[in-house]
Amino acid sequence: MNELPLSITEQLNNILQSILYVVPETALAILFLLVIITGLLLKKDADRFCQLLSLFGLVFVFQRDVQQLYLILSGPKFLFNNMLLLHHVSIVFKLIFEALAFLIVVYVPLDEQLKVHKKGLSDLYAIIIAVVFGLHLMAMSVNLLMIYLSVEMVSIGSFLMVAYRSENRFAVESGLKYVLFGFAASATMLYGMSLLYAFTGQLDLFNGQFLEQLIHLNPVPVSLAILLVLTGIGFKLSFVPMHFWVPDVYEGAATPIVAFLSTLTKIVGFALLANFLTPFIFFSHWTAFDFRLFFSAVAILTMVTGNFAAILQNNLKRMLAYSAIGHTGFGLMALVTFSQQGVSALLFYLLVYALANIGALMLCSFYAGKNSMLTVQDLRGLGKTYPFAGVCFVILLISLTGLPVSAGFNGKVLVFSAVIEVYRQTHNIWLLALLVTGAVTTVVSLFYYFKIPLYLFLKSAENETELPAEKKQTFLLIIIGLLSALVLLIGIYPGFLSDLVR
Amino acid sequence: MDHLLTLLIFTPLLFGIVLLLLPVSLRNSFKYLALAATIVQLVLSGWLYFHFQTGASFSGINHAEQYQFAEKLSWISLSLGSMGKMQIDYFVGVDGLSIGLLFMSSLVMVVAVLASWEIKTNLKGFFALFLLLDMAVIGVFCALDFFLFYIFYELMLLPLYFLIGMWGGVRREYAAIKFFLYTLFGSVFMLLVMIGLYFSVTDPATGNHTFNIIHMMNPANYVQGSIFSTAHQTLFGFPARSLAFVVLFIAFAIKVPVVPLHTWLPDAHVEAPTAVSIILAGVLLKVGGYGILRVCFSIFPEVATAGAFWLGLLGVISILYGALNALAQTDLKRLIAYSSVSHMGFVLLGIASQTTEGISGAVMQMLSHGFLSAMLFFLVGIIYVRVHDRYIYNFRGLAKLMPAFTVFVMIAFFASLGLPGFSAFIAEAFSLIGAFTSASVNGLLPAWMAVCGSIGILLSAAYFLWTLQRMFFGETRLSGGENWRAALTDLNFREKSALIPLALMALIMGILPSLVFDKINDSVLALVHLFR
Repeated sequence: MNELPLSITEQLNNILQSILYVVPETALAILFLLVIITGLLLKKDADRFCQLLSLFGLVFVFQRDVQQLYLILSGPKFLFNNMLLLHHVSIVFKLIFEALAFLIVVYVPLDEQLKVHKKGLSDLYAIIIAVVFGLHLMAMSVNLLMIYLSVEMVSIGSFLMVAYRSENRFAVESGLKYVLFGFAASATMLYGMSLLYAFTGQLDLFNGQFLEQLIHLNPVPVSLAILLVLTGIGFKLSFVPMHFWVPDVYEGAATPIVAFLSTLTKIVGFALLANFLTPFIFFSHWTAFDFRLFFSAVAILTMVTGNFAAILQNNLKRMLAYSAIGHTGFGLMALVTFSQQGVSALLFYLLVYALANIGALMLCSFYAGKNSMLTVQDLRGLGKTYPFAGVCFVILLISLTGLPVSAGFNGKVLVFSAVIEVYRQTHNIWLLALLVTGAVTTVVSLFYYFKIPLYLFLKSAENETELPAEKKQTFLLIIIGLLSALVLLIGIYPGFLSDLVR
Repeated sequence: MDHLLTLLIFTPLLFGIVLLLLPVSLRNSFKYLALAATIVQLVLSGWLYFHFQTGASFSGINHAEQYQFAEKLSWISLSLGSMGKMQIDYFVGVDGLSIGLLFMSSLVMVVAVLASWEIKTNLKGFFALFLLLDMAVIGVFCALDFFLFYIFYELMLLPLYFLIGMWGGVRREYAAIKFFLYTLFGSVFMLLVMIGLYFSVTDPATGNHTFNIIHMMNPANYVQGSIFSTAHQTLFGFPARSLAFVVLFIAFAIKVPVVPLHTWLPDAHVEAPTAVSIILAGVLLKVGGYGILRVCFSIFPEVATAGAFWLGLLGVISILYGALNALAQTDLKRLIAYSSVSHMGFVLLGIASQTTEGISGAVMQMLSHGFLSAMLFFLVGIIYVRVHDRYIYNFRGLAKLMPAFTVFVMIAFFASLGLPGFSAFIAEAFSLIGAFTSASVNGLLPAWMAVCGSIGILLSAAYFLWTLQRMFFGETRLSGGENWRAALTDLNFREKSALIPLALMALIMGILPSLVFDKINDSVLALVHLFR
């Protein structure tokens, strides 16, 4: 089947050349080892040193990412015999990963439930770095084998993170659920991939042969194979109906881990999906499986399910989990435009969503303290005790809802613009349905997001004596304040961020 | 002089920031700071009003260069990849439609600050939110860029939610979220139409897409084959432009409010503190009427003409339904809330007639109702603060107890029911004349609508006079007994100084309506010209 005679020297040359283009990934791998060793060698201050090391490392990697932007000025670059594809969008995704991972590494020791962990936190930093490494690969992989490897790399790391805190039954349960569902999803995806390989004899998505072979086959089995692959990706993205693990896992895992799962692994799902879909979208003879129809339906379903289910939640983290599902649906809406503008709108939307979501979860940590089951009712009257935190919460929620003046509003405007513009060109009725659903679910989201200010400010505490003592979490509050200010700033001047993600 | 509008819009924000930086120990000074902000604003808008030039070359509406005190700065420029840039301007300016509303809003804001003397808790939060709301409201009336307009429009919601929810009555939480959800429901769809319009319209000078409302009014600026171009595009099988008009109209009709989208209003009014009720009735309802004129009618004139009958019908229903409901109320504040629904119906009826008289009457009614409803809610607030009760049958013979108060109530009631000599008479008369002549001028509204409108005036006379009789005349009998009698003191200096300007404005506008009509006439003519 493989008629191309590939000489060993050619392959080796390709690999040697490719190494120049994976500096950030190499750096991450070294950083991972360094953090582990530091954690092992140092006993007393291991946590703090590992954290500092990770932070410096991430800044270094970020800077290397920026340099990569100049490497690909001449165009996208395939690496390691078409295993990876380095292009502008994947670099922007990597920049987003580094920035968000930095935030989360800062956040980890500020959570009181993680801080008291008896194993210490140094291992967690190592896992986070390893997962970020996996995220990098995921955002670049364009080969079925590579996709599977990178997905597994991220999954195994995430399993460890979710189960990191295992002192109570609930955390163990959520960890186990995540592992079981995760493996099932991976297995399904692998099955789909092996079918695709069997149909085409190709693992390389961008190889012309791959699609040429597929279009000559019966569309039913091909669609089935693609559906199976999408199931695996959907697990990472948590779109409906692959969302059922989300609320339980988010409820049980430590809050900084939730921040990681709800932002980084979700965003990488979009990166992977974009990579996977690109060859199909740009292949003009592709008719077997209507991706726009499929993802429009999934997006509508996801937005509706996520937002309506969130109304029923009392547990704060569960509510944010369902709202995160809703945001996935909104992100898919940007993706189904299959346009360059849609992708930049998606990047903008995801980044501002992530900033606001991490901020909101930090506030959960702040209010929860050692109480792992924080409900909305627990917030009753706390807005008056901690006015600064309350105001920040409102700002972040405005952004999550998508009201002006906030970063989230601009993200929404960009996504709507992309969809409307593509509608103008294609007159696809699904795009209109998406727009209407997006608008309606915005109103729905207001209803549950504003339960939080309702309890913070509108309802007064039942008895004043029960107020918790003043907390000394100034550093956490400063970070929350900075995030809120950033969200407002992007709301008023979105220009600098949108130029970045273009 | 060039930056007067910017100064007018952001003065409250500036004072608000100063207020936030002051320590809580100075909490007694907060209300004076807010009062200073609104008085500065009043002086500025007064200056603008008297320097507002009139004449055919200053009519505004669809001529950007005819707007006065205009200011245009490039604000956001979002890159959209292959589709060029999303250009959003900070573009403000006033014409005859907005100048009167600016002055009216500024005065009502002063009164609202005077009414917030009753607020005792968390003063910093209250006045900070109040000033933010003030900024947003003035911004809406000045904005000529749709994006800017939308931002100010949405920015009003958040402070109002907290103002009603934190300082309101017993069911404040319900009223606050209901108001928020209702308005947001209208405005998210407005957002979609706004973006659709953006991609349909280009700036003739640069060829880029634009949010400029004035460019949206010119059919020549629409891109061939775009969603809202004049050609017969459809959305879900409906003509796209009609659908867009309906969506925008619903968004603004919720604000006006037009029956059957009015149900948030009685709840919000009843639960809101007096100051917020004053702003709601005095200013926010006008945002709806103003939006219909500035956005719906100006951008989609042909749809407005085609649907004029239905708009007029909604106006008539609002007038009658509001008035009948007001008759049935036993809570004084609820009664006045429903009377607002009824009176705002005249605005819609006048606008729908699309005649010069009708639209002039509608604009006049917005101004008149702004002053009068502020006065009415202030008066209700006075009773409520004293005895914490508003139930009509719990009071009787208040005239003997509070003579000065009763004088103001009578002025407000008689002015509101359309007694000649007061502003509401002129406003309602012109709206009805518009509705009457419409049959012969443009044939849009049947004459029976004007007749039904007149019945609305009759009903408003009924509920106002009946209330006057029930609460103020006869022997003094109070359900709270001696405690109430002691508590119900007559007006103090602060209350008088808030009521007198409002009463004077209603009187002046009634006697010298030309003070207003001269300023708005050119713009109204230009607007009517759009419909031809």
